[in-house]
Amino acid sequence: MKVNRFRLIGLGLALALSAVFARDAGAGEVLDRVMKTKTLTMSSDPAYPPQSFLNAQNEFEGFDIDVGREIAKRLGAELKIVTPAWEVITAGNWGNRWDVSVGSMTPTSERGRVLDFPAIYYYTPASFAVHQDSKAQKVEDLSGKVIGVCGGCTYESYLKKDLKIDAEGVPPFDFKVEAKEIRTYETDTNALDDLRLGDGKRLDAVMSALPTINDAIKNGYPLRVVGDPAFYEPLAVATAKGDPEFDAKIAEIVKAMHEDGTLTKLSQKWFGADLTRAKAGS
Amino acid sequence: MAAAARLLGPIDQRWLLRLLLFLGVALAAAAIDLTNTALGRALLPAFGSTIGVDGGPTARILIGIVLGVLALLNLLLLKLLPFRWQVLLMWAELLLLFLAFFASFDLSYPFIWSRLIFLVQAAGVTVYVSLLSIFFACVLALMGALARLSRSGPAFGIATFYISFFRGTPLLLQVYLIYLGLPQIGVTLPAVPSGVIALSLCYGAYMAEIFRAGIQGVPHGQREAARALGLKEGLILRKIVLPQAMRLIVPPVGNQFIAMLKDSSLVSVMGVWELTFVARTSGRAEFRHLEMLITAALIYWLLSIVFELIQARLEVYYGKGHRR
Repeated sequence: MKVNRFRLIGLGLALALSAVFARDAGAGEVLDRVMKTKTLTMSSDPAYPPQSFLNAQNEFEGFDIDVGREIAKRLGAELKIVTPAWEVITAGNWGNRWDVSVGSMTPTSERGRVLDFPAIYYYTPASFAVHQDSKAQKVEDLSGKVIGVCGGCTYESYLKKDLKIDAEGVPPFDFKVEAKEIRTYETDTNALDDLRLGDGKRLDAVMSALPTINDAIKNGYPLRVVGDPAFYEPLAVATAKGDPEFDAKIAEIVKAMHEDGTLTKLSQKWFGADLTRAKAGS
Repeated sequence: MAAAARLLGPIDQRWLLRLLLFLGVALAAAAIDLTNTALGRALLPAFGSTIGVDGGPTARILIGIVLGVLALLNLLLLKLLPFRWQVLLMWAELLLLFLAFFASFDLSYPFIWSRLIFLVQAAGVTVYVSLLSIFFACVLALMGALARLSRSGPAFGIATFYISFFRGTPLLLQVYLIYLGLPQIGVTLPAVPSGVIALSLCYGAYMAEIFRAGIQGVPHGQREAARALGLKEGLILRKIVLPQAMRLIVPPVGNQFIAMLKDSSLVSVMGVWELTFVARTSGRAEFRHLEMLITAALIYWLLSIVFELIQARLEVYYGKGHRR
């Protein structure tokens, strides 16, 4: 769901680098380090409330942060957070700078070439927002409109009708909107900033994560959500390639957090809804 | 007649410029509807009671005329003051206009105030990274310039290759290459050193050309005279050429310093909490990024004003020999 700010550059560079040198973590290496130093280093981008953001004390807060903290606790380690840019995280080859990304990352097959995705920890509903003055009542009404979206993210793929999600447990969906024009932005909030200017001023609608839209509305943006979510997007914990022991441990911990209701509780706390189970896309 | 025209010429020209100022301000003010601003609300009742205009295009034109007259009066009054005061007052007026522009954004000042300390801390990181990089860039630039001017083939080759590559590729890519590329050959550097290396290499390449131009700008006769006196080459460089070159080098290098101050924001891609990073992320949760960005812009500006002042002093110092 997140956007790659300099994604072309980052992706090109990542591919070039990983083609030239492929040096991954050794088996058991990451797990050993985490257990020995009693520190789990996690990457997070605090530009994405309510998943990850800086509070009034400039400290990390959010759903991803709480999930990371819980994983660290169950590993018997302290959580340390670093903030590399998104494209540095998705480039892979972390060079042991950090151990894990709990950053609402969609496990696409391109990313699967440089990263491992041991566990899906929640699903984000993708929804459409319109200005309060808009006449649109259902998702189909948005066909033939100008729709803003984050560039290079899954929402853009959806609007272009080439989105494929093949992770397990994801319900099927179909493409209901034929946008007249897709306008891409660096991040979702920039698109929402344009939509708030007025109905049709720059945009007729924005496609984004439902929690992001709801947060904007809560902060006084004159918007409303149209219809049911278009699809549910799985979001996974990512690790560096090459340490199956660590991956297995993470998978086991996240599975336990699903089963004992910890994730549901955290989801209720940050999103006001249980997003840990996928529902059928409308 | 001709004598009268010649006498009137300069006066006419000056008044023509003033007329243009009046028209420019009046038209601009009329074009951006000011009737709904604090100024418009203050003026409208006066129009209403005197000539019975309460709004619409006529009011906009009237506001434009009032502002144009004010601008003209302002200019004429400023003319009566000494130069220094004219400059100071002009700065103050433009600054006020600027602040009024920001004030119209309806920003939350308590929010800015509550987060200011974090921005100031982050500005500390920015200054720290910039100063370190500026130091290493100067060293690299001097070496690059000397190699570029030397008769040694390998030195010339290395210098031109270095300058060409680091001037010819985007700084962002260099940051990525150093941060992501070096670990692949077993060197894993933390974020701040990676950033300092990238900034130093990039700015060193630009500044090598400035240093070269400065050194070449010292008249050749100076070198010849020093040689005739029997001075050694190293001494000639240190005592004769470089001090004179500095006078030419300081202004463009000052430019580079200020540019680097802002380019240091690129190290945030590696997770360094410098000014731009904190400004971009800090206000997100409350959807108040504009507050943070404007505050960060003002902090950058203040920092570059400090650099400008340092540059001015350096210019005076190295320009000693040329003052009359």
